[in-house]
Amino acid sequence: MSDKSGLTLFLDGEEVPFTRGESIFQVSERHEKEIPTLCYDDRLDAFGGCRLCVVELEGARNPVASCTTKAEAGMRVTTRSGKLEMHRRVLLELVVSENREVDVDELSGYASQEMATLVDRYEARTGRFEGRQSGASRPDDPNPFILRDYDNCISCYRCVRVCAEQEGDYAISIMGRGFDTQITTEFGGILKESACTFCGQCIQTCPTGALGDIKALRHKEIELPIEKTRSICIYCGVGCSVDIMTKGDKIVGILPAMDGPANEGALCVKGQFAFDFVHHPDRLKTPFVRDDQGELVPATWDDALDKAAAGLMAAVNEHGRHSLYAIASGRAPNEAGFMMQKLVRAGLGTSYIDNCSRA
Amino acid sequence: MTRTNEELISQAKGQEAPLLPLLHQFHERDGYLSEEALRAISAGLRIPLADLFGTVTFYHHFAREPGGQAAARVCTGPVCKMHGADALLTSMPGATGMPCSGRCDEPIPVLRGNQTWVGLAADALERRDTPVPPAAPAGTTECVFAHIRDENRKSLSGYRRSGGYAALEKAVTSMTADELIAVVDASGLAGRGGAGFPTGRKLRAVQEAGGGPKTVVCNADEGEPGCFKDRALMDHDPHAVLEGMALACVATGAPRAFLYLRYEYPETDTLLARAISQAEEAGILGDDVFGSGRTIRIHLRRGAGAYICGEETSLLNSLEGKHPFPRNRPPYPVTHGYEDTPTAVNNVETLASLPPIVLHGADWYRSLGMGEHAGTKVISLSGDIARPGNYEVPLGLPLATLIDDWAGGPRNGNKIQAVTMAGLSGGFLAGDDMDVTLDEPSIRAKGSFLGAGGIMVFDETRDMVAVAHQAMEFFAHESCGKCFPCRIGTQRLTERLAGDAGPGELSSWLDEMADLNATMKATSACGLGMAAPLITESLVRYFPEEVRAHVSGS
Repeated sequence: MSDKSGLTLFLDGEEVPFTRGESIFQVSERHEKEIPTLCYDDRLDAFGGCRLCVVELEGARNPVASCTTKAEAGMRVTTRSGKLEMHRRVLLELVVSENREVDVDELSGYASQEMATLVDRYEARTGRFEGRQSGASRPDDPNPFILRDYDNCISCYRCVRVCAEQEGDYAISIMGRGFDTQITTEFGGILKESACTFCGQCIQTCPTGALGDIKALRHKEIELPIEKTRSICIYCGVGCSVDIMTKGDKIVGILPAMDGPANEGALCVKGQFAFDFVHHPDRLKTPFVRDDQGELVPATWDDALDKAAAGLMAAVNEHGRHSLYAIASGRAPNEAGFMMQKLVRAGLGTSYIDNCSRA
Repeated sequence: MTRTNEELISQAKGQEAPLLPLLHQFHERDGYLSEEALRAISAGLRIPLADLFGTVTFYHHFAREPGGQAAARVCTGPVCKMHGADALLTSMPGATGMPCSGRCDEPIPVLRGNQTWVGLAADALERRDTPVPPAAPAGTTECVFAHIRDENRKSLSGYRRSGGYAALEKAVTSMTADELIAVVDASGLAGRGGAGFPTGRKLRAVQEAGGGPKTVVCNADEGEPGCFKDRALMDHDPHAVLEGMALACVATGAPRAFLYLRYEYPETDTLLARAISQAEEAGILGDDVFGSGRTIRIHLRRGAGAYICGEETSLLNSLEGKHPFPRNRPPYPVTHGYEDTPTAVNNVETLASLPPIVLHGADWYRSLGMGEHAGTKVISLSGDIARPGNYEVPLGLPLATLIDDWAGGPRNGNKIQAVTMAGLSGGFLAGDDMDVTLDEPSIRAKGSFLGAGGIMVFDETRDMVAVAHQAMEFFAHESCGKCFPCRIGTQRLTERLAGDAGPGELSSWLDEMADLNATMKATSACGLGMAAPLITESLVRYFPEEVRAHVSGS
């Protein structure tokens, strides 16, 4: 049994193929070994911090972190044993002991249930290893998007790494060391005064809900199940995939789609947080036209389009074709942009058209 | 004249590994690292400000309040605590504690700016030279200490008069790198910083690795409590260390080397800088070593207070200006070290052993050990001992011989209750288990290790639970925070040894300890988290009654 490269290793006794450069963790994932981890995000460089993913490697004195150890031909790997499971349980008891709580609302973020799920899988709510708790929350940060509840932080640094490796903002880092480690901005300030762009990726990778989606959490009291609907972000032409979270007919939050081909889990502040307009009372749901008194009154689409067309043609007839200038929305997809060009160039006869991000 | 931000930054930009020296220059110029300074450095070296801030906070000694650089720091290491460090600290307003600062053979050290003072009371502090190692018993042949008591050795001329730099000259003019490595290999020399990796093999791995330029690093971040041997070597025989580094450069083909010195040795920093420039002026280091056309540049870099930077991959990250977490291995530094170049990281003592080995030969060095053990090891002996100090012993020497015959036995004629091994990292040996010889096989058979060779002696008057608590407090203070078992484990062990938290019932207490010890040893990402549990394991093994009393609160 081998693929084209012919590389194989032994995973729990079974000979399996792998590709050069793969980690033991990646090979094990493909074979559904369900190795536990808390510091791993497959979009980020393997970090090797939580040590939950340790596996036994024949010939090695100690278990090795499977996320940071590259697969090599002939390796004999054990992903589950009494000793490994004991170490994993102790590690989970330790993270339980350092946090204020294990259970956080699912609305906190995409990965927010990871710790609670593992803690339950390993029955680690034992109360052992109690002692001082780590991390200090930042209720003083008034930003409306990102909850910084570091009392629940386990120092996996996924937030710091996603900010650097995925977003390239380098807005947050690690202050101090050891048990006193704290996620920080420069000089320990608030996010608004840092390089943070509020893209929310830190929230979505946080495995404990220490970083939470404040806008979504507003709706945690609604006692309805969360439904998720796959869609495309409406804000710009990139086409980021999102899962829109609803409770009943209310949009309660946006999750980036980790498998979105354009964004692979990334969003920007608008796509992540700016959905309130959907339910806003001022939102226009029908066209309006001005009546003879100049007052805006509801109209049908046909009436509104007729009126707009008449007005545009009147302007062209009276002032010439170059009296018009069109600005296309940056949110518009290519197809809509093309139609706009058609309208302006062929219909109105002018080349005066641009995009809102340049206009 | 005070130099401007722009001057400091533009000068730093042209250097290798510029961040640490630049931070030190601002720290000393302003008396602390101000926000303005960090903003300027961030912009100048193009390091994200949040990263730079986080990295600065990692180091114990970088002050971020005005006046902080000059404020007194009192050593509160295990031996200094025996000498009353806590009381001294309390008596000095504005002073803060610092972990063992590597002067356990002296009164309590107090660091003020770039000056070290020692004494037992605030009004009786004085500046002293580093103690010279006590004389070895007659008939002992030493390697790195052979000339250390010759006061002329500090100067370049004195060093050369006693055979200094002859090995380097020989190596660059009449030896191939392969021949040089073969000698080191045959000598049996192994890493004297504690890991014990065969030095010849390491040098060969770097020599054979692809890519470059290659790099040599001398690890002088002597942070292990109870270890002060490297400072003695650097202070009394600095050129021997530089010559060893240069020989490693010749062996590996490296044109550059870094000496990473711990913050707490400011006088050594000055002395080494002078020695390097003297050797460069004499054409011994620099761009034309002994007229051979070979370049060997030694760069001195000062740490800023972080025990973990003695771990070689943390050290490399620190040099590169990154957050000093240990790296994941493999790849190892011999192929991916400083800036991903093949790098030989060696301890001061290891490198200082190279010149005599090259001059006198592999067989000579091997023969210095006892029985099948090759060579010597410097032991830093401190605590309740009549003559604390550094002793270069033949490997295989019985511990009892060192303690009783070489160092005058326990202080005040008290009975020795326990000794530590590898500074603190090897935990305690007590009772019959102190009947070991000073070599790795003998000590490892007792579940400990010789490591960097720090041995602290505790007599029967000492509270071993309290000693263990101080030790674990040190490990918790120095845990970097990268991996869970060490970050949380050292904290939980400390709390339990302090009596602050944990089960009040003995068997549950012992169960928690056993689980923590096992998981930390098996899963920690580096040696710190693997070694820290040796303290608790050995405490429980040798002092069960004391532990029982501690847990029951009596």
